[in-house]
Amino acid sequence: MAGSNEVNANESKMAVPLNTWVLISNFKLAYNMLRRPDGTFDRHLAEFLDRKVPANATPVNGVISFDVLIGRTSKLLSRIYRPAPSTSAAVPLLADLYQPPSADPFPVIIFFHGGSFAHSSSNSAIYDSLCRRFVSLCGAVVVSVNYRRSPEYKYPCAYDDGWAALKWASAEPWLQSGKDAKFRVFLAGDSSGGNIAHHVAVRAAESGIEVSGNILLNPMFGGNCRTESEKRLDGKYFVTIRDRDWYWKAYLPEGADRDHPACNPFGPNAAKLDGLPFTKSLIIVAGLDLVQDWQLAYADGLKKAGHSVKLVYREQATIGFYLLPNTDHFYQVMDEIKNFVMTNVQ
Amino acid sequence: MKREHQETGAGGGSGYHVATAADMAGAKGKMTAASSMGMEDDDCGVDELLAALGYKVRSSDMADVAQKLEQLEMAMASTAAAASDDASVLPQIASDTVHYDPSHLAAWLDSMLSELNAPPPPLPPPPPVAAAVHQHHHQRFDVSTASAVSEPPAITTVAPLRPSDAYGFKPVPPPAAASGGRVVYGLDPQSEMIVSPRDQKRKRTCSPSSSSSWGAEAGRARGSRTEGASSAKPAAALPVVVVDTQETGIRLVHALMACAEAVQQENLKAADALVKHISVLAASQDGPMRKVAGYFAEAIARRIYRRRPLSQVDRALDSPALEDLLHLHFYESCPYLKFAHFTANQAILEAFSGCRRVHVIDFGMRQGLQWPALLQALALRPGGPPSLRLTGIGPPQSDHSDALQQVGWKLDMLAKTIGVDFRYRGFVASSLADLESRMLLERDGSEGDRDDAGEEEAVAVNSVMELHRLLARTGALEKVLRMVLAVRPRIVTVVEEEANHNGGTFLDRFTEALHYYSSMFDSLEGGGGQAAAAGEEEQQQKHRAMAEAYLGRQICNVVACEGAERTERHETLGQWRVRMARAGFEPAHLGSNAFKQASMLLALYAGGDGFRVEETDGCLTLGWHTRPLIATSAWRVSAASAH
Repeated sequence: MAGSNEVNANESKMAVPLNTWVLISNFKLAYNMLRRPDGTFDRHLAEFLDRKVPANATPVNGVISFDVLIGRTSKLLSRIYRPAPSTSAAVPLLADLYQPPSADPFPVIIFFHGGSFAHSSSNSAIYDSLCRRFVSLCGAVVVSVNYRRSPEYKYPCAYDDGWAALKWASAEPWLQSGKDAKFRVFLAGDSSGGNIAHHVAVRAAESGIEVSGNILLNPMFGGNCRTESEKRLDGKYFVTIRDRDWYWKAYLPEGADRDHPACNPFGPNAAKLDGLPFTKSLIIVAGLDLVQDWQLAYADGLKKAGHSVKLVYREQATIGFYLLPNTDHFYQVMDEIKNFVMTNVQ
Repeated sequence: MKREHQETGAGGGSGYHVATAADMAGAKGKMTAASSMGMEDDDCGVDELLAALGYKVRSSDMADVAQKLEQLEMAMASTAAAASDDASVLPQIASDTVHYDPSHLAAWLDSMLSELNAPPPPLPPPPPVAAAVHQHHHQRFDVSTASAVSEPPAITTVAPLRPSDAYGFKPVPPPAAASGGRVVYGLDPQSEMIVSPRDQKRKRTCSPSSSSSWGAEAGRARGSRTEGASSAKPAAALPVVVVDTQETGIRLVHALMACAEAVQQENLKAADALVKHISVLAASQDGPMRKVAGYFAEAIARRIYRRRPLSQVDRALDSPALEDLLHLHFYESCPYLKFAHFTANQAILEAFSGCRRVHVIDFGMRQGLQWPALLQALALRPGGPPSLRLTGIGPPQSDHSDALQQVGWKLDMLAKTIGVDFRYRGFVASSLADLESRMLLERDGSEGDRDDAGEEEAVAVNSVMELHRLLARTGALEKVLRMVLAVRPRIVTVVEEEANHNGGTFLDRFTEALHYYSSMFDSLEGGGGQAAAAGEEEQQQKHRAMAEAYLGRQICNVVACEGAERTERHETLGQWRVRMARAGFEPAHLGSNAFKQASMLLALYAGGDGFRVEETDGCLTLGWHTRPLIATSAWRVSAASAH
């Protein structure tokens, strides 16, 4: 690990508020305990340690949530967040939950939580909080997908689940809005969720489902070579090259390396995206995230293939800045997301 | 970027948060989010932002917690560096540690730091009888292994046994004569309910000594607000898991809600019409929703018509033996009771660690399904089993059979087989509130020279779905908890349905119950374990049908009854925490080892992927998908109450 532990702790402590530092360091510590050198994962301990919240059909700050099984035979769970339906009843009826939140066009955000493909769930407290915020921000209906995680489920399970959720949502009549009864969908995700959003968007483009926009927060990409940012920032701000390698090994197929197209969509093995009706992207990169070179390469790759990209580079931000509403990064990025959605929902 | 930001409403429209009237209660909303994470009023001074994410850290402790995180990382990195070259993966010793209550970061970090700094202890010496000081409770229950491979800790609980295996023969079915030949099981749930829950209370007047007190109590309690109602809080969370998004399913729920609303408004004519409409809708519905709707509609009908007087047949259909039979099928058909027994036993085992004489008091003995596993685990205990005394409490039997004694004999035989010194005593009581502590503590004279004169007895009190019944009578719970305090238990294990079926208005209760039992019924259907042979499949179906009838009786009680008759007064963990704290108890946290083993057993027994074990604030819950349905908690006498 580059740099001594003490130096790294001091550096990262100067970059974020103290409670953020505690939160992210706690995750780092816990996650270190869960990854085993032989590639297995202590799933039971992971579930024990993860702080979860139940769905809640009682409005809290104007937002309600409920869990849905997408298809009875499939076990794909998703948590739906939406503005509280206007009803005289104190608690919305089941029928109310499925009323469109407005007659005017509203966005549907299909959200893929982060966790490097292995951690967290749609009912993890950190993501419940974030999804609620998206609803408040954009008047959106958010579908947070509880995709299957590695190492138990490797590529392409997460993408398959993301695709299943998108297809399910596209067929729900209450998620269509506006005079043209259109399904105005955005794909969003942080870390591995951002990676999933990209790959589901590719499938959507190939299959003729129109996506209004992609929102990628610190998306997880990589490749075989060690980029400059990886070497420079290794171990300095909560993340190490070593743990990134572990997670890729856990997700990618047996024997694959990090130039696999799932990990490196603009690498030597990737299919071209030129000519595909791929959606517009809002890509948020944190300047203290060691994989930023891959994220910037991703943005470049999209542009070169002729697709619209808005890149937001927060120089002093670390991973996880969007988990706590206590920095400029948080509020300004939320603003960017809101503008992007409002602009492209028409 | 290190500035603390206030969340301000951007005028109009959606800014950083929705500026609606709801936000006048915004602070309350935040507290609701926090309280749904299980925070109580005494958590003042905690960092609000972290609390919303499930972590309780006092703002004043933040720097200290940060330091501990650093220390821990350095300690682990240096140990790892010594062991292997992979510094990013912590040594096994950390992952084999038993973890408790991850929400309390400071305490969690402390326990891990002390784990790393001290060598793993041998089997802990018998802890002092007096209640332990609060911050040491982690160490007391901490059983770590130093092995490189992740193994379950030294204290283990054997997997719950099938009742027939445990006893070597099938349990005794209820005598047919007592039911007058008119026992209708739930194969056709639309047909006559087996027994009116109203009758359940009546039967408890069978034993002459209690009939007068019950009659008077029932009369007095009816119509009066019982102690059960929870105090005013921010709006309770309503977890909803939607499985059936069929069009008719939604209409059915809608009709049920409308019906309940009509009942609340005392518009009985409309309610009646809706009940009939529900039956029509339900008939065209498939799966668990049909059955759930059937039971709820039936219950509303009973409420509307208030069936009186109770017929002879109704009374005959109601017997504890029948109740026990349904309970047994419920036990077989789904993992909830197995989970309850397993997690409670785990806590009891840990509390009894190092004790040579132990006494378990079971508030609801029934067929004693919980105890064979505990006996086995005690028999296998390193250092040998303690002498175990078991006190079982059960209701009077209408047919005067002595089920309570019979269970004791069976357990005694098992104990002899596996070499555990065992004594059993049954107490018949119509209500737990009729018991006195001295009755439970006094020993019969037959002890003789088996009595280790010097050593005190370690007591565990176990209550699986019994405490909520006491809420039907003012003061009953408090009396029972005072009695529990008086027996000076080392551990009190409490398992309860995780739902609020006891607060607010009828409509609130109805709504809660509808969601709760929908999830329950769904889990019965979806979670059936792999039945290999055709015969097993049929057996599973029979279990399920009876289990549904068992739940149907609860539904009927929640919806159709009031006052002292409404005994299914389920409350949530949050509510029980308040009650237990008021009564002088403090939490004894269940840890990651119990969690892991429960999860692993679940995979064996339940088969279906939908069951989830979760940890909240030191308690374990088992639920269907994301909806917790049953919660196990453990308690100790608090330091303050000990004196």
